[in-house]
Amino acid sequence: MCSWRRVRERLFKITVFGVAILALTPLFHLIMVVFINGLPTILEAGLEFFVDLPPTPLSRELGGIAPSLVGTFLMTMISLPITIVLGLFTAILVTEFPKSRLSILVDTVAKSLSSVPTIAVSMAMFSLVVVLVNTIPKLRAFLNPAGSALTGSLALVIIALPISYTYFSTFLRSVPATYKEAAYSIGMSRWAVIIRVVIPVVKKSILVAVLMTMARIMGETAALLFTAGRYRNGLPASIISPVDAIPLLIFDYILSPFEVWRRVAWGATLILLLFYMLIFFVVKVVVKEVKLL
Amino acid sequence: MLLLLVSILFFNSIESLSAYGSSLFAKTVWDPENSVYGVLGPILGTIITSLISVSVSLILSLSLAITIAEYLKGYLKKIVSSIVEFMGGLPTIIYAVWASEYLVPFLKNNVMKPLHTSLPFIPLFSCRPITGFSTFAAGVALGISTVPYVASIILEAYENIPLIYREACYGIGATKYEAIKTLLSLTKPAIIAALILGFARSLGETTIVALTIGNSMTLTPCLFAPGYTVSALVASQFANAFLYQHAESVLYASMLVTTLISIILSLYASKLIIDWRSRVVV
Repeated sequence: MCSWRRVRERLFKITVFGVAILALTPLFHLIMVVFINGLPTILEAGLEFFVDLPPTPLSRELGGIAPSLVGTFLMTMISLPITIVLGLFTAILVTEFPKSRLSILVDTVAKSLSSVPTIAVSMAMFSLVVVLVNTIPKLRAFLNPAGSALTGSLALVIIALPISYTYFSTFLRSVPATYKEAAYSIGMSRWAVIIRVVIPVVKKSILVAVLMTMARIMGETAALLFTAGRYRNGLPASIISPVDAIPLLIFDYILSPFEVWRRVAWGATLILLLFYMLIFFVVKVVVKEVKLL
Repeated sequence: MLLLLVSILFFNSIESLSAYGSSLFAKTVWDPENSVYGVLGPILGTIITSLISVSVSLILSLSLAITIAEYLKGYLKKIVSSIVEFMGGLPTIIYAVWASEYLVPFLKNNVMKPLHTSLPFIPLFSCRPITGFSTFAAGVALGISTVPYVASIILEAYENIPLIYREACYGIGATKYEAIKTLLSLTKPAIIAALILGFARSLGETTIVALTIGNSMTLTPCLFAPGYTVSALVASQFANAFLYQHAESVLYASMLVTTLISIILSLYASKLIIDWRSRVVV
């Protein structure tokens, strides 16, 4: 009896360990193959990889991914500040007035918004832009039905907003109530407490939230499929002209029959992975633990 | 914003819903030339893919969560949890690239072919895996990508169990296995909620599925044949859909169904977790 319990104990431990290792293997293999396939592309293309246009299917030159890099950069720069500001303010609202009807509504909406398929956001955005431009022709100056950096960024805001909101509200909620009570007791106003007590306490966490939101925005593919325009034959002229993004380029090129496109896709994947690793390590240096969303 | 989103999807789907009615969801046809559509295939494909994905991620993430919570200590624990966090934030397109180039051929040679040759009489395994791009491959790839998400929910619930339960288990002389079994039975509602959330997430996932499922409008019971999910269908057909009558609207309608299922499931799951927490933890 006793020995069977001991055997079972052993078996259980071995199985659990084995499966856990199995669960982590894909990641290591993934990083390995991205480097193996991506590094030769980048080394061969050299610095031109960052400034050239993508190759034509039959060209011998590897070209570069400049339009996608610029597009991703542009859309991150537009959507990140909007997302952060909106996310932070809604989070402050909800944590300060947790019982109000508005807060409960916001919380539910954020939860359901984060479960909406990203491609649905893309479709809805596309149709919204088409309808708006058709009904109010003047809007054509801002919204391009063929897709633009601006439309893409707006779709990204919808995707990233619930994420940044959840990060911010978790961090704000973690501020001990005694800190706030102490501040109120010396006669500070609600607003002053937020600015001078709550925000300084969670300063580091706010940086983390910003970085994790940025990582999400950079890697988002489906939301941009019909909103960004997938234009990669040149650099965007302005924020209302069609753009490309690194994930879109990878998505279109990786299964293409042309060897040169596949190689460019691997190179782009490596660049994206390196960006993400950089962000993640900065986050790890700032705080020890990241809550997954 | 949410309302706006859903209503946009809804208004765009009215056209096809009134033109085809319920037959839209009862057939599997994609024939824009004659404007005949039926999206039963993609919808079933979506559900089957998500089911495979959930089963894969249940096995992997449950073990991962137990390992992290029970067997690892100190630095090792920190490193492993960091790796899980890293996996969780990794852009899905990177998973998609890896899955389409490496996981699909691997599964084809090591899982699909042996299953097909040894058990061809089971309908699920009845077709010969030709390219490997299939419902099965998409499900497994999705499952791997949802592991960190599901694992983190299970882990959080597991570590939230009050210490007295654990002490009580060891107090009556339980081995670690017996204690874990008891504690897991306590977290069952949270695990179910984690699975529902994983399912909802798999429903809407586009990138990974579109690059691994093989994109074909067929309806077979076989898991090794290429198929479609709603989001993969949209990803590949939406750009040309405006050329044909109703096509665009059909896509909106099928996406509306997926979105609604996804929202309802995740709201239900988060309610489950909140209920569980107020019952067990406090």
